[in-house]
Amino acid sequence: MNILIGTILIWGAAFWAVRHLHRTAPEARPELYRRAGETFLFMLPRLAVGLIGAGFLAALLPEAFVQRWLSAQSGVSGILLATGFGVLTPGGPFVAFAIGASALKAGAGAGALVAYVTSWSLVSMVRTLSYEVPLMGRRFTLLRVMISLPAPILLGLIASLAQ
Amino acid sequence: MTDDPRPRRRLFDSGFFFILAIALASGAGVLVTQGWEAFREILLSDLGLAALLMPKIAAGVLLATALALVLPKDKVLHHVGPESGVRGLAIAATAGAVIPGGPAVTFPLTAGLMTAGADLAAGVAMVTGWILLGLNRTIVWELTFLPADLVLLRVLLSLPVPIVLGLALRAAVRHRARRRAS
Repeated sequence: MNILIGTILIWGAAFWAVRHLHRTAPEARPELYRRAGETFLFMLPRLAVGLIGAGFLAALLPEAFVQRWLSAQSGVSGILLATGFGVLTPGGPFVAFAIGASALKAGAGAGALVAYVTSWSLVSMVRTLSYEVPLMGRRFTLLRVMISLPAPILLGLIASLAQ
Repeated sequence: MTDDPRPRRRLFDSGFFFILAIALASGAGVLVTQGWEAFREILLSDLGLAALLMPKIAAGVLLATALALVLPKDKVLHHVGPESGVRGLAIAATAGAVIPGGPAVTFPLTAGLMTAGADLAAGVAMVTGWILLGLNRTIVWELTFLPADLVLLRVLLSLPVPIVLGLALRAAVRHRARRRAS
């Protein structure tokens, strides 16, 4: 259902942009369709293979395993571990929040939780592989991931002090 | 009309083979640890998901390509170009945080904006604003699962992150340019 609503919304925005281009620069039309077609063809195999790889990765990382480890470790090692699990945790918009919530009940600290959610948000390998690499290219993705990696550790440390 | 700044790309390059290698390795892992049935089920359901997503991706690509041609290059350069400073990064991060939608929307929009003149740092700030501060996800999902005080703490700590990452990237780009020049 979400996919349907999203699809309709994006098509609406795309139609608006294309119509705007038709009015302001009709000579750019062939260029638009050529470029869009090329990009779509470029993405197609990458997205399919990325999504399948993401599904396999998800199956290899059981939720209970992550939750147990998140709540068992504390301090700096807990934050580092949480960052690592965040990178590996796949899934849609709420998987990591659900795991984080159960880890919290089982005794995980604020530092580990903030590190986990931040790392999952910033560098979740599955989203990176199936969407970002195909859409943004390897250079953008690599630079962004490299520069983002210290953030979950730092935020986790600050959060554990704030608690 | 703007020139297409993207380098010519081959359909199957090392990037593709990297994703393929990961899919094959994790697929083999599933096959060994969980057997043929689980392997087949995951493969089919993700192929189905990919097929379901295709119309959305097609629209995203069309939108991004059209935006890159429609957006006035001088304005984009002024607001989120390499010389746009902290203000440009803040604009990009805010845009990322408030635009509703998942990766199929945000990545093409960012790519379109970058083709129209936004620099790498603004692109990273926009993506980071979306994944760390996206209002949609925080309000709908995060608050449902996690205690409000922890969510608030995480959001407050994350507020400067898109801008800090953008500034770090610009500093790195400048540093490299200087080293190359000397």
